[in-house]
Amino acid sequence: MTQIVSRRALLGAAAGVATAGLAGGCTRPQRPIQVAVVWSGNELALFREVVRQYPGPVEVVGAGNDMDAFLSARYRTANQPDVAIFPQIGLIADYARQHWLAPTPSWVAARFAEPWNRLLTVDGVVYGAWVKAAHKSLFWYRPDALGGQPVPETWDEFTALVRRLAATDRPAPLAIGAADGWVLTDWLENLLTTLASTDEYNGLVRGTVDWGTGAVRNALTLLAGVWGVPGAFPNGPGRTLLTQNEESVVQVVAEHRAAMVFEGDFVGIVADRFRPAGQPPLATFRFPRLGPAQPYPLLVGGDAAVVLRRGAGRVADRNAAAGQNLVDWLTGPVRPFTPWIRAGGYLSPNLLVSPTAYGGGLASQLATDLQTATSSLRFDLSDQLRGSLGGPDGQGMWKILQDFFAEVTGAAPDVRGAVDRACSRLSRAAAQAKRETSS
Amino acid sequence: MSEPDTSGRLLGEVVVIDDIGPGRRSRAYPSGGFAALLLTPVVLLLGAVLLWPIARTVQASLTGPQHRYAGLAHFRTDLAAEGIRQVLGRTLLWAVAIPVVVILLGYLLAAATRRSSSRVATMVLVAPIALPLVVTGVMFRLFYDPDPARGTGTRTVVAVAGLFGVPADTVPPWLGPDLITIALMSAFVWAWLGLPVVVFRAALDAIPTELADAVRASGGTRWHVFRDALWKPLLRRTTTIVFALVALGTARAFDLILVMTPGSSVDEAANLAVRVWQTSGSATSGPAAALNVLWLAALSVGVVIAALGSRQAWPPPQSPPSEPEFDGSTVDEVAPERGRRLVRRTLPALTALVWAIPVVALVATSLHSPQDSATRGWWAAPLRLTSYTDLFKGGDLLRSLVFTGTLALLVTIVVVALALPAGYALARLRPPGTAAAGVLLLAASAMPVQVVAGPVNEVLQALGLAGTGLGLGLVHVALGVPFAVLVLRNGLADVPAEEIREARFAGRREWWVLWRIAPVAKPAIIAVAVLEFVQVWNDFVVGLLFGGSAATPLGLLLFGQTRQFVTNNGTLAAIAVLASIPPLLLIVFARGHVVRGLVSGAVR
Repeated sequence: MTQIVSRRALLGAAAGVATAGLAGGCTRPQRPIQVAVVWSGNELALFREVVRQYPGPVEVVGAGNDMDAFLSARYRTANQPDVAIFPQIGLIADYARQHWLAPTPSWVAARFAEPWNRLLTVDGVVYGAWVKAAHKSLFWYRPDALGGQPVPETWDEFTALVRRLAATDRPAPLAIGAADGWVLTDWLENLLTTLASTDEYNGLVRGTVDWGTGAVRNALTLLAGVWGVPGAFPNGPGRTLLTQNEESVVQVVAEHRAAMVFEGDFVGIVADRFRPAGQPPLATFRFPRLGPAQPYPLLVGGDAAVVLRRGAGRVADRNAAAGQNLVDWLTGPVRPFTPWIRAGGYLSPNLLVSPTAYGGGLASQLATDLQTATSSLRFDLSDQLRGSLGGPDGQGMWKILQDFFAEVTGAAPDVRGAVDRACSRLSRAAAQAKRETSS
Repeated sequence: MSEPDTSGRLLGEVVVIDDIGPGRRSRAYPSGGFAALLLTPVVLLLGAVLLWPIARTVQASLTGPQHRYAGLAHFRTDLAAEGIRQVLGRTLLWAVAIPVVVILLGYLLAAATRRSSSRVATMVLVAPIALPLVVTGVMFRLFYDPDPARGTGTRTVVAVAGLFGVPADTVPPWLGPDLITIALMSAFVWAWLGLPVVVFRAALDAIPTELADAVRASGGTRWHVFRDALWKPLLRRTTTIVFALVALGTARAFDLILVMTPGSSVDEAANLAVRVWQTSGSATSGPAAALNVLWLAALSVGVVIAALGSRQAWPPPQSPPSEPEFDGSTVDEVAPERGRRLVRRTLPALTALVWAIPVVALVATSLHSPQDSATRGWWAAPLRLTSYTDLFKGGDLLRSLVFTGTLALLVTIVVVALALPAGYALARLRPPGTAAAGVLLLAASAMPVQVVAGPVNEVLQALGLAGTGLGLGLVHVALGVPFAVLVLRNGLADVPAEEIREARFAGRREWWVLWRIAPVAKPAIIAVAVLEFVQVWNDFVVGLLFGGSAATPLGLLLFGQTRQFVTNNGTLAAIAVLASIPPLLLIVFARGHVVRGLVSGAVR
């Protein structure tokens, strides 16, 4: 009987080897390049339209908000995408130091201004290339909904406008997609661009400045002054915390429940999709400055494409080359993003894409803003944070600001207490993130 | 393949041994080598893709850098993390509350629909089992949309609150932090209720009515009838199994929570699976492995309960039980009073009506243009097909549908091909360790793939399959085989001894015997095939972790669209409807076979 068993075992082993050989053979033909993105809906459809022009097959995967969880899980299963495009550039430092990423060739990096590349530089090497930028210092409004009031230029005028509109029986002054934590962090960061000095802002990114101090505290207090206005948001604050960003745009443009909505240039394309026929498009004004002498805040965001190494040795080189070719093409002189530019809601920090490519109008002007803001570039703070401090859903800054929002919009809010609590939670989360990333 | 004269000698023995009993049979059976051959592929597969990875995970949870023993340090780190106790408590709540609700409701409905002919009602209750959990998540996210103009669930609550004079603004939203767990649980109950209804109906139909008559004749009350004629002989065991099955199922509520929960409520909704997903991204793997081990430990408790439940003494049936019929069988009994008849008539119909609303809402939403579905209710506005036509523009959805369908089909074929011989070996040849194998298989079929994802990859890499369609298929096969073997073992154990004897006389080799008697286990084979296909088609987690670059599996494609609801409602609903049709049709058309296949062998 032992003889029989050993013969069976041998047969089984042979079958296993045959299967493995077969599998090896099957994977050789041209494999599609896999790209993981955070976009969904219309943006995902537009990006798919972009990569359809690529000479080879490209498979685009929507990974949801939590790109870090997705990439880490995929990395553990040695099944990472070839290219990942995401706004949370704080992740890049961790990934680069774990040798997950392939460096960006110099000719690709040369397509961007120095401050943009600096954001993607880890230990002197550039990892990643920008495929999309966002101008995040805009308010969008229906011109007929401001009740003939002038457009606010300073934060005080803005607060006064919100109060005045909230006191009338007109639609609520503001819509806000508070279910998406990044919308709330963008509000805070616009104020921080002015309230915090460059050193302080960068110190917050690096974790050398305490979150419980000056600028953050002041910014939160200012936010509470607007968010806490009774009737500022349609249907009450509980409902607002379940409203997502794109829905908040619909509330302004289609449902006329609110007059204004804050968010980046990408609001435009959503607004156009849902604008009832015959209604004029939404107008914009810049995020208000803190005083007549202060500059207007300019907060920029963006999505960077990184090439992930997979496999080892020569296989890794071949895979990385495939990913790099795609990124080279995405940022290259053929300007593949033309369909998205034409559709709207797309800006690029790419020097090869001239502001005139957007056909004049608002987008061209915003693109000029982005490309000229080289010296004082303030990139989205939460996206640069490392560890769990920068979000996503249910974590770090996203969750802390959502809880802060719930507190200050409640009945008879204790603003000072809410600011204290938010500050100390931010400090603790920052310390926790530091432990995570140093271990 | 034994020598001809050996099998001839063997024949006579088996005929005798078959009537003696399992214990001696395994010792006396001479062709252990053949059983080993039949079992080898399954053992190799489970060893490589389940057992070894579990060992690795346990090891990682106990060791620090450079494989130094770290004791329980990782567990302490986990338990010190903010909010972990709530997460564990919530996971436990899911595992206890959901089975209780599902069993109570399911038993009531099974008892009520048993002798009525409400086919449609039963169908509506059973159908949700067939749907992918990701689709259920989308469906209930739409149903509980906080805006009463779109969300039917919210509209209902607001209307009811209005009756009591409560203003709409003060009604807590379903998806808000206070009620999110209730909302998620309701979606889960909606999806799983069909299981106990079917199982309890099969059980109730299998109970001989003479038993109840006898209790009644000796002056027993209705409670006595329930206790002595239903609970003790059959329901106790069935309830234990259903409880364990549902409790183990709740561990996989991951898909539902990820899709259905708005960002601001994630903290209040997360269970252990979600927590593992969120935090395993940190650089060190020790604490993540420790969380996985905690999860495993909780699951093994469930498996032990299930195993004990299924081992409970079974009273020998007085008369051979007739084939349990799924639909319609009417056995005349004492005429129930009018009130009870009314309940019997209306309860299933009412439940079915309530159960149908989310589906109707989903289908209606998909039949609106993306613009209308974002701004108006599903009952308003003109019907259009633009949400569907937009979907097929790029060809990505079509590719995903074809890929998922092909994958599911191939995996199903391989699973049946591997599990049939193994099931035969366990049912008929009974090599040593057969009883232990049953528990191990049960444990393996309850295993969430996230727990072993890392080590599984090491195996796939060694085979050169990481990131390929084949690798994805292999993981699916490994996850599907344990359950398939269990069902096929039961199905083959049901084959009458005479048929085997005949097969043995007619053919000389064991292979041939297996080939001859396989058709008798047809219901079990169909059940396995249908359930495996549906499982692969409906999968989200395996595709999320192992999906290669060839094409995106359907579940992952749908998940990728869930970042923004409302503006995306039309698209999401349309994909959800398309993803539901194949598994729904399969389950509806093959339901008789599936139920027969699953209950076959249960009386052994």
